[in-house]
Amino acid sequence: MLLPTATYCGSDTKTVKFEVNPTDVRYQTTDGKTTGASPYVLNAGQVDRDRPSEPRKDVNGKITALGELRARLTGLQDDINEFLTERMELAKGKKPRLAKQEQRIESEIKELLDGGDGDDDADGL
Amino acid sequence: MGLDHSLKLQIPFENARQAAIAKEVLRPDPILKPQDFQVDYTTDQNVLRVNFQSIDERVLRVGVSSVIDSIKTIIETIDELDTPSISTGSTI
Repeated sequence: MLLPTATYCGSDTKTVKFEVNPTDVRYQTTDGKTTGASPYVLNAGQVDRDRPSEPRKDVNGKITALGELRARLTGLQDDINEFLTERMELAKGKKPRLAKQEQRIESEIKELLDGGDGDDDADGL
Repeated sequence: MGLDHSLKLQIPFENARQAAIAKEVLRPDPILKPQDFQVDYTTDQNVLRVNFQSIDERVLRVGVSSVIDSIKTIIETIDELDTPSISTGSTI
């Protein structure tokens, strides 16, 4: 049985292992949740012409080993994409604090500069 | 800022030859921003190992998903076209 795996290691030394459960339907389809056209585009009436083909079957109608591998890899790709998206959201949550700080500094600088302009104006320049 | 986000992907193929084909197909793909993202392909018998390193999660997500898309295409191509008569050939 061909089972792909993945291991993530982040800057905070967090290690996460991704494994495939072949009995789970998530790992039995080539139609991934996080890949392909977005629901917004599909709901607007667009046809997804790049939709992946079904896993290949042999003459007996059984899915080939490589067909199964492709389906499992699709599920693993969804797992990784969802995990990294979550991590991105967390990172984004940290950013606003920094952004606020930057905004405050920027407004302080602007205030100082504006004040400087005002003084200049007062001097008749 | 270093490439301190990493992901190691291991994909077992049916045999070492298929893993080697996948590696050789993926290897020429250029990395557009090597300062932000790097990929390394190796094989260990029938297993293709792909090591990703990235500056952050966003770049990692885009790069990993793109490489996995390519690997899925390679798997599909081998599945559809690599007939037993071709497989018996000694060269890749």
